[in-house]
Amino acid sequence: MDFDTQLLYGYDKIMLALMIFVIMLGMGASLRVEDFKAVIRKPRGVFIGFLSQFGLMPFIAFTLATVLNFHPAFAISLILIGCLPGGTTSNMFAYFSRGNVALSISMTTASTLMALIMMPLLLKLYTVKFTNQLTASMQATGSKAEFVIPTGNIISSLALVLVPVALGMIIRRKSRDWAKATEDTAGFVGIIVILYLIATAFIRHGKLFMQTPVEIYVGALGLGLMGFFFGYYFSRLFGMYPLFQRAISLETGIQNGPIAFAIILLSFQEPVQSQMLWLAILYSTFIVITSSIITLLYRKYGKFDWDVYRNTIIHNRLFGKDYITNYPKGFLPGRLVNDPSQDTEPAQKRK
Amino acid sequence: MSERIYDIANMAEFYQQAAEKFGTLPAFAIREKALKWNPVSYYDLYEQGINLATGLIELGVEARDHVGIFSDNRFEWILSDYAVQFCGAADVPRGHDVSDEELFYIMEHADIRVTFVENKAIQDRILGFRDRLPLLREIIMLNPKSQPAEGIKTIQEVILLGKELRQQGDRRVEERIDGIQPDDLFTLIYTSGTTGQPKGVMLTHSNMISQIRNLPVHHNCTDRVLSILPVWHIFERLIEMYTISFGGCTYYSSVQTLADDMRAVEPTFMASAPRLWENMYQRILKGVKASHPVRRVLFNIAYFLSRQYKTSQYFITNKYLKIHRQPLWRHLLILPFHIIRRVIVMPWYGFFNAAVLERIRLSAGGSLKMTISGGGALPNEVDRFFNFIGIEVLEGYGMTESTPVISVRSGNNLVVGTVGPPIPETEVRIIDPDTNEVLFPNAKFPHNGKSKRGEICVRGPQVMKGYYRNPELTKLTLRNGWLHTGDLGMITYNDCLKILGRSKATIVLSSGENVEPEPIEMRLQQSQFIDHCMVVGQDKKFLNALIVPVLDEFRQNGVEVQSFKDLANNTEAQKIIRDEIKKMTESNNGFKRYEQIRDFRLLTDPFQVGHELTNLYKIKRHVVEQKYNHVITELTEKTAKNKN
Repeated sequence: MDFDTQLLYGYDKIMLALMIFVIMLGMGASLRVEDFKAVIRKPRGVFIGFLSQFGLMPFIAFTLATVLNFHPAFAISLILIGCLPGGTTSNMFAYFSRGNVALSISMTTASTLMALIMMPLLLKLYTVKFTNQLTASMQATGSKAEFVIPTGNIISSLALVLVPVALGMIIRRKSRDWAKATEDTAGFVGIIVILYLIATAFIRHGKLFMQTPVEIYVGALGLGLMGFFFGYYFSRLFGMYPLFQRAISLETGIQNGPIAFAIILLSFQEPVQSQMLWLAILYSTFIVITSSIITLLYRKYGKFDWDVYRNTIIHNRLFGKDYITNYPKGFLPGRLVNDPSQDTEPAQKRK
Repeated sequence: MSERIYDIANMAEFYQQAAEKFGTLPAFAIREKALKWNPVSYYDLYEQGINLATGLIELGVEARDHVGIFSDNRFEWILSDYAVQFCGAADVPRGHDVSDEELFYIMEHADIRVTFVENKAIQDRILGFRDRLPLLREIIMLNPKSQPAEGIKTIQEVILLGKELRQQGDRRVEERIDGIQPDDLFTLIYTSGTTGQPKGVMLTHSNMISQIRNLPVHHNCTDRVLSILPVWHIFERLIEMYTISFGGCTYYSSVQTLADDMRAVEPTFMASAPRLWENMYQRILKGVKASHPVRRVLFNIAYFLSRQYKTSQYFITNKYLKIHRQPLWRHLLILPFHIIRRVIVMPWYGFFNAAVLERIRLSAGGSLKMTISGGGALPNEVDRFFNFIGIEVLEGYGMTESTPVISVRSGNNLVVGTVGPPIPETEVRIIDPDTNEVLFPNAKFPHNGKSKRGEICVRGPQVMKGYYRNPELTKLTLRNGWLHTGDLGMITYNDCLKILGRSKATIVLSSGENVEPEPIEMRLQQSQFIDHCMVVGQDKKFLNALIVPVLDEFRQNGVEVQSFKDLANNTEAQKIIRDEIKKMTESNNGFKRYEQIRDFRLLTDPFQVGHELTNLYKIKRHVVEQKYNHVITELTEKTAKNKN
């Protein structure tokens, strides 16, 4: 496919940059230093999540790009998305899907920090094939240039993105009210900007939707869905309880879209930039829809174990830490018999 | 996965099975402080109950005796009830708000020989008239912190007495349990009656068991139920029994600590009177008004979307109020519109529901799956509000005489504005209160008589045995097995019951006070200026009056008016009537605070025989209510505003 149109104009880019700033600020405002400590205290869940996020997801992205025979620019974009850390959206979805919010938050914080190391490594590993293709095609047109993944740039853009996160955390320390307002604003800005990008794409480049090959849609849609699916069963392999499976599944599938935008804008140039952005926009749109549907499903099927978990939490809250709730024989299915809530923090309420 | 207990012969066996099935799960939790509650397991409750029962038998409680429990909600209440059931006896419950006269009447009328009292206050009141109760043998103190007077045992002493006997092999309790017949009384509840004297409603084991069996809501042993209503009220009593049937835990809260307890306990189910939902509704609205303007706008958008979404959903699933018949073609014609609206609104609703409405639901504890409202009519706007913000309020209808549930809206049959379909095994009839003709079901009328207004009559396993030692009243209320409720209602086109008011004169205020309007009206009509009047206020906070003035009397007193219309707008006349009302219903005339008239309207047409009046000049209340519906609404709205 020919992708000669420039997707974003100057002021769009400025807007996008602003949005990334606000969203990252909001993300920071929702985090506490406590959350980082929690990761160190209870590393098991976060570790399994880490394997799922940085082990499974990039591999899924690579496989999809290879199997669907993506154009190298799209392939690199998909792999880039696959290597991203989790975002705060996943925490909200974890809450509504009756997943463990504490784990979701821990995973978000851990993966955001780890991304500084993991992303460049993983990108190098998975994109070799595609960068070679790009170089080959560029040299075919007579250019002497070679396409390389701008590793240094990526690390510095990532670090740059983390600045507003840190700012957000400072806001939270200073004033709870401002933190809350920042968080709320970020939520809305995120949705509005995605809608804006889609709408402008529609208006300015209506043909783009038609031109985009089906496999790109399949890839953008499939990456999130496969992340959910494999994240859920992968964590089950490690004996995780449904409550944590749901959190890991959503965290794996939902990536931090704004960081993708930031890296693409700051580290890549045309001719690949627009193509990469286009895939990132498609992914961000689809992921909102698919995670809503997945959340509804989890909510429905997770009702029973969630009820058991809440009840135990409240028994321990009111009757003392040592209180043990004994359900009648046969009431709990085998997997839940060892109380899933033991050794977890109350997840729902954060003060 | 979860099973309920309802296949039982009597309530004693019910308690026994609960202990076997749910063992160490907490049955009740008692608040010590905000985050410290003490659980009592099903097994412990059973053990203590058996010991207490043995002690009671030793103290002389016979099978089918009536044992008083004069106490408000506390763990020892339920323990006493366990013991009374294990003795094969029935309890006579009542709370501290009973007057001395009533208390004496109840104790004498029910032949109470052994009674539990909550604390020193009630103990002293009973001791005050003890010599007039020759049958009374034992008083047992429930509150371990209260100092019992001489000759009064504490519940602990009786439990210990029973425990020793049990250890020596006493098995009288088992014999008693075997001897209980389904038709034996489980409880004898005294309600304030129209004639002034309380009526003893006899409810049997099979009455209660049928209710547990037929309640349509489903829970399991992970559920937490917050208790706020007085347990001697049959509605709360049923909810507690229902909670035991699925192994849930009842947490005893109180009005003062309710807001905290809701956050601490995160109840999944709750039963309350309309007043609580009204208060919560006001509180949420106040919170929204006080919040940041952006938040307020978001809330309004969310509420709007939810209303659109749910209204369409109710239409599609056929769960909307159908007072008039809806021809099928019309339904099919409108259906596409609702389907389209639902689909369009859905994603937006989904987002706002998650982002905005969830926060509001969190203020109600966050885990509340559904709530049930009973003991009075829930105002329509409150009802709709909670259903739209996503907290299902199931409104029920019933009375003490029917143990109490007759009908309830269940989760999958939620028609706002009705009290749902009758529960299983329950037949409902609508009869003409004047002619006693059956209006529903009656093949003579189109659609079997649906939407015809009349008195609601009920037949089913929950209908009481009768009024204790009051055969005349029993015969009047129970005719051929049909309980005449005294309420007016109709069956809607989706087979739900809609309550329209009361055919009996008694007005129940939203505070739960029962007011007999007739004595007040008779008193007011003694005024020279008042020809007729009718007191209104069912389910409202205050009483109001509709007044037909005496035109000539005003003229003679120098008020220059030509017609009733002039008079109604005349400020001088208003003042005269206001003073008259005040003078007539002064508290030193024997009128209680809640019997005061808050406001009134002068009517422009006199009541006429055959229309508003019967041949005997008695007011046909339902006719006046229907005719002056708008005036009554206006009055109540005005007084409600003045209050705020």
